[in-house]
Amino acid sequence: MNVQFFYISLSIYIFSTLFYLLYFAFNRYLFERIGFISLFSALVTHFISLLLRYFEGGYTPITNIYESLSFFALCIGAFFIFVRHTYGVHILGSFIVPAISFILAISAFLDHDIRPIPPYLKSYYLPIHAAFSFIGNGIFFTSFIVSLLYLIVENYIKKKKIPFFAMRLPSLELLDRINVRCISIGFPFLTLGIISGSVWASLAWGSYWSWDPKEVWSLITWLIYAIVIHRRLIVGWKGRKTAFMMIIGFFSILITFIGVNYFMGGKHSYL
Amino acid sequence: MHILVLGLNHKTSPLNIREKFYIPEEKMDFLISQLKKEGLKEIVILSTCNRTEFYVFSENPGRDLEVLKDSLVGLLKVEEGWIKEYMYVLLDEDGFRHLLMVASGLDSMVVGEPQILGQVKEAYRIATFNNSTGFLSNKIFHKAFQVAKRVRTETKVGYNPLSISSMAVEMAKRIFGNLSQKKVMAVGAGEMAKIALKNLKKEGIEKVYVVNRTFANAKKLAEEIVGEARPFSDIERLLLEVDLVLTSTGAEDFVIKKDDVVKAMRQRKFKPLFIIDIAVPRDVEPSANDIENVYLYNIDDLKELSHKHLIDRLKEAEKAKEIVETEVKKLPALLRQIDTKPLIMHMIDHAERIRKAELKKMLSKMKNIDDSTYRSLDQLTRSLVNKIIHPHIELVKKEGTYEVVEIMKKLFQFEDFNERENKSRDEG
Repeated sequence: MNVQFFYISLSIYIFSTLFYLLYFAFNRYLFERIGFISLFSALVTHFISLLLRYFEGGYTPITNIYESLSFFALCIGAFFIFVRHTYGVHILGSFIVPAISFILAISAFLDHDIRPIPPYLKSYYLPIHAAFSFIGNGIFFTSFIVSLLYLIVENYIKKKKIPFFAMRLPSLELLDRINVRCISIGFPFLTLGIISGSVWASLAWGSYWSWDPKEVWSLITWLIYAIVIHRRLIVGWKGRKTAFMMIIGFFSILITFIGVNYFMGGKHSYL
Repeated sequence: MHILVLGLNHKTSPLNIREKFYIPEEKMDFLISQLKKEGLKEIVILSTCNRTEFYVFSENPGRDLEVLKDSLVGLLKVEEGWIKEYMYVLLDEDGFRHLLMVASGLDSMVVGEPQILGQVKEAYRIATFNNSTGFLSNKIFHKAFQVAKRVRTETKVGYNPLSISSMAVEMAKRIFGNLSQKKVMAVGAGEMAKIALKNLKKEGIEKVYVVNRTFANAKKLAEEIVGEARPFSDIERLLLEVDLVLTSTGAEDFVIKKDDVVKAMRQRKFKPLFIIDIAVPRDVEPSANDIENVYLYNIDDLKELSHKHLIDRLKEAEKAKEIVETEVKKLPALLRQIDTKPLIMHMIDHAERIRKAELKKMLSKMKNIDDSTYRSLDQLTRSLVNKIIHPHIELVKKEGTYEVVEIMKKLFQFEDFNERENKSRDEG
């Protein structure tokens, strides 16, 4: 059942994507409404599919690449609803929603079957560690998109060449504010994700920190975001520099999340 | 029914002629009542500084045009020759197209300007107030408002600002979004500064500082736009505080150098700074634009952007014209629609009269009937009549075409359709 629900939600996401793209192209409010309502229903369906998988498999479904991509996409969508509600930046959906669909479309090609999970994953730390980490990742993904938009907007203002879609993008200040909000919420999640992971590691592997590639890269990611916060407060890395660092930070997340497994191995190899 | 437009605008006539035709609002009521006396029934008058136009809806446009022309000579004290020389006469589709173009701002001097729609609405409101609108004029004008809205939402005509100072405000909004908590420093207190500051004030900017070499002028401008005058030496200090800088002095050299801005930015912790330099020669060293989070626009940048917007607007106007054309094609259907309300009222009335008469006849024949029998009879006849006329009424309502209405008129003996309609309107 969970797989059926997954596919249903994926098709609603794609439907929503279509309307968000139409919204970007034609700037009609109606398209955004339809896009948003369908996004919301897609998220609900998606959540149900995860719940079903939880009951069918008997474990928190964030244990392999398929499951975690799916959960990652859910976090992005949920955070987008928060950002849209708080800042009224509807246009962000034209970038976020296609990205969600893209991530889920990739995960749709991966192995969906529920398989027995390794014994050391059967722990209360699984939901805690995975949820913290992926909520953080979802938030930082949003800030990645926001930062890209920031650079686009800042570039056209600086170069004084205004593209046709310029009117639809948010102002620099708003984008910067959203970015700050993303760090201030995302960073605690990332920190808690690392701490809970390390506590779990001490229970499962007997040591809090063993310089596993996953651990090293999550530390690097953490440091990048810590630098952003520090520099912003002390020197005033406003706007462009923050945006730049948020993009680098997200690449670091990508390496931690996926790159490590495919290219570096290590103990954290199930995902 | 026909649509007839008689009018002149900025394209067909010079200002001194348009002035003569201009009708101020307080004169409008009188003019409309006079024209109604002359036999025009549905008329809407639009008069702005760029145009004066008479929209007449009539069964006999040829006669009404002559009446209108004659009345204008008498009422506005304009020469007959001017009407011939400067005014255009548009009939039906051309008139309708013209109204749509006007309402959408496509016929305006500045294409896409938004004020005209408000003026058309006001003209229509005045006409309604004076009872000079009717079935067709209501329909046509509402259609025009609807099309104007469509043009506004579906094309970008009227989307982009055109003047230098509104362009500057637009860019400020691109950077800061809302200007309500922003501060601006104006260096120089000339006319250009005044216009730009007024525009910024309109956007709700929080604080205006005016700096000028001659302090008295700064004070004067600051008072006029509700701001604060500061001495010229305060520029460096204010650079730390404000979000926008507007320079417009007559100075030969740079008033603000790149190094000043670099220094200020460091102390501001790189809080974005938008500098608008509308002075010629320039007041701010151009390379200041290279500093992180500093956006420097000079008058040429702004001119170029607004020129580009003008071209965009003209392109968009083409799209808007297509929308107008599709609506014009629907006009015949609109004109065919006839006000069916009086006919429907008559049909109900007619049936009811027959029913009452027949019931009375029957009752006089039957003697000693009790209340409940009477009520049953009443009920029976009522439901019979309703069942019979209901489909007829539905047909008129749904397909109120000329042919259907004609048949119904004959069936229900409704000969004096127009006369009755006019009579009831005069009474109302």
